[in-house]
Amino acid sequence: MQDLLYFSQQLINGLTIGSAYALIAIGYTMVYGIIGMINFAHGEIYMIGAYTALIAITGLTALGAAWLPLILIVALVCAMIVSSSMGWAVERVAYRPVRGRHRLIPLISAIGMSIFLQNYVHLAQGSRNIGFPDLIEGGFQFGSDDAFQMSLSYMQITIFITTLICMTALSLFISRSRTGRACRAVSQDLGMASLLGIDTNRIISATFIIGAALAAVAGLLLGMYYGSIDPLFGFIAGLKAFTAAVLGGIGSIPGAMLGGLILGVSESMTSGYLSGEYKDVVSFGLLILILLFKPTGLLGKPEVEKI
Amino acid sequence: MTISVKKLVTAVSASVALMAAGHAAAEIKIGVAGPITGPVAQYGDMQFSGTRMAIKRINEAGGVMGEKLVAVEYDDVCDPKQAVTVANRLVNDGVRYVVGHLCSSSTQPASDIYEDEGILMITPASTSPEVTSRGYELIFRTIGLDSMQGPVAGDYIASQNPEKVAVIHDKQQYGEGIATAVRDTLKDKGIEVAMFEGVTAGNKDFSSLITKLKQADVDYVYFGGYHPELGLILRQAEQANLDAVFMGPEGVGNNDINTIAGEAAEGLLVTLPPSFDEKEENQELVKDFEAANEDPSGPFVLTSYSAVKLIADGIEAADSKDPFDVAAALRSGTFETPIGTVEYDEAGDMKSFEFVVFEWHSDGSKTPVN
Repeated sequence: MQDLLYFSQQLINGLTIGSAYALIAIGYTMVYGIIGMINFAHGEIYMIGAYTALIAITGLTALGAAWLPLILIVALVCAMIVSSSMGWAVERVAYRPVRGRHRLIPLISAIGMSIFLQNYVHLAQGSRNIGFPDLIEGGFQFGSDDAFQMSLSYMQITIFITTLICMTALSLFISRSRTGRACRAVSQDLGMASLLGIDTNRIISATFIIGAALAAVAGLLLGMYYGSIDPLFGFIAGLKAFTAAVLGGIGSIPGAMLGGLILGVSESMTSGYLSGEYKDVVSFGLLILILLFKPTGLLGKPEVEKI
Repeated sequence: MTISVKKLVTAVSASVALMAAGHAAAEIKIGVAGPITGPVAQYGDMQFSGTRMAIKRINEAGGVMGEKLVAVEYDDVCDPKQAVTVANRLVNDGVRYVVGHLCSSSTQPASDIYEDEGILMITPASTSPEVTSRGYELIFRTIGLDSMQGPVAGDYIASQNPEKVAVIHDKQQYGEGIATAVRDTLKDKGIEVAMFEGVTAGNKDFSSLITKLKQADVDYVYFGGYHPELGLILRQAEQANLDAVFMGPEGVGNNDINTIAGEAAEGLLVTLPPSFDEKEENQELVKDFEAANEDPSGPFVLTSYSAVKLIADGIEAADSKDPFDVAAALRSGTFETPIGTVEYDEAGDMKSFEFVVFEWHSDGSKTPVN
């Protein structure tokens, strides 16, 4: 019983962090699916989302807002708007001018953008860790008082539910809406889609905006869950989410979701049953193994190299 | 006409250069190297506020051998790579005395350069034993060692008769070093160390670690490292209802931990240098700090102040500005500083330095425990 509770607790920890990875991974995978480049500045967009949310929360609290759902929704909307505009601007400034060149060029441009955004926040907000206020406290406890208790906090439940809503909305958007259909068409063949009258520039911008908005959601959720943010925290999260995207099959949206969850669970199980020191070793070992045996990732379709 | 203008310009610039050189000769540069930016910049603030005050007071009292001290400040971000760059820049700038660096992992590589280039270095904060264990002639400190701090923490935990203790560290030179010292002390005292594990610095999710601590049912958790990680561990542990007392070294004892951990910082135990600012003989100095709107209570303010004072006193005692003579004078003399009477051993460590256990409060204040 004890062991089962312990296992479930680690599973919950892993799924929580995994769902957030998945939200960020969507941005990597959608952009790759459509223009075949890795947007390395995506982690920074997520970090900016977290900062915007924190600023909004602090502002609202200072103005005297006390109703929690209102604070959260306003913070979420602000974060999504700022991150999306940032995602859009990054694409216009750093990627569109070099689109269609050798694939290394947009990659370098993305890395440059990432460094720029990191340092920009560094200057604007300072380099110290900033604490997030505890907005969603408490949770459920399972197990007897004198032994190991499994806890499922309201914050973790919020993360699951929000992720679920976002994922469902995204799937519906991609499969049902006109823009979603255009997205799928562009990802299959950009040139052909353009010939058939799809405004590909608009679709590419939309992809960046959607990815950035989801990253902002993750920024708010993880900022609250962890409890503090700093200008560098987008980098590690970005790296993990990128791994998740590759693990699940880059270019595939369900793959990114699956990859995020697998990565989160494998991290928490490794630190739970082996040692925290091996967490990254196991996650990246897993990545190498999957890439060796299935180079397109778990759910990726084998496809002809796009150039 | 043109020629004479040219000549004039040359003459003027030459005399300006001469004046500048004459001016430069009448001052002694003190390099201050520490984090102005980066995650542990709060400690850098302490260091810079201490050195600035020391330089100001020494200059007001007439300087050193009739010359003024001038601070040259460098930002190493507490990053070993940056520290090496800073050390090389210091060499280039002709600085011969350094107060710094702050993080042991920065001090270590930088000190190699200082020793090679004949620059005297006093670190006001690096506690890693390795810094002074390499037989260097010019490397000193105004702080104790992890090998002193670890046992103080270990002894305190042992005196509380815990059943099980977990020791966590951030896998960096400072954190792992001190955590190892704590673990060894506990083992010597027969206390069970249920867990000894590293976390990755910069990581933000500690839920798995906390679940493991809960499962292991530990009474005390010692964390070797800095506040960004411990702050989050405290906060996430409170949310997960982990019932254990946390303890950490001086690297966690600053107000930033309250910003991160909030209420969860209440009751944290921290080993720190004693509160030098509360000592009777330092009250005049404390007033000067307060008049300048600076806070003298941070753990590294007065150690930094003392580092500058030791350089000044060392130059006077040696009656020479050669760093090697100053180093010899520091080793042979006895010096009065705000952190007490300082005597150095061969390695460049103070012969005695005391660490005290404090209880930290969520409003940023602290009270001594024993």
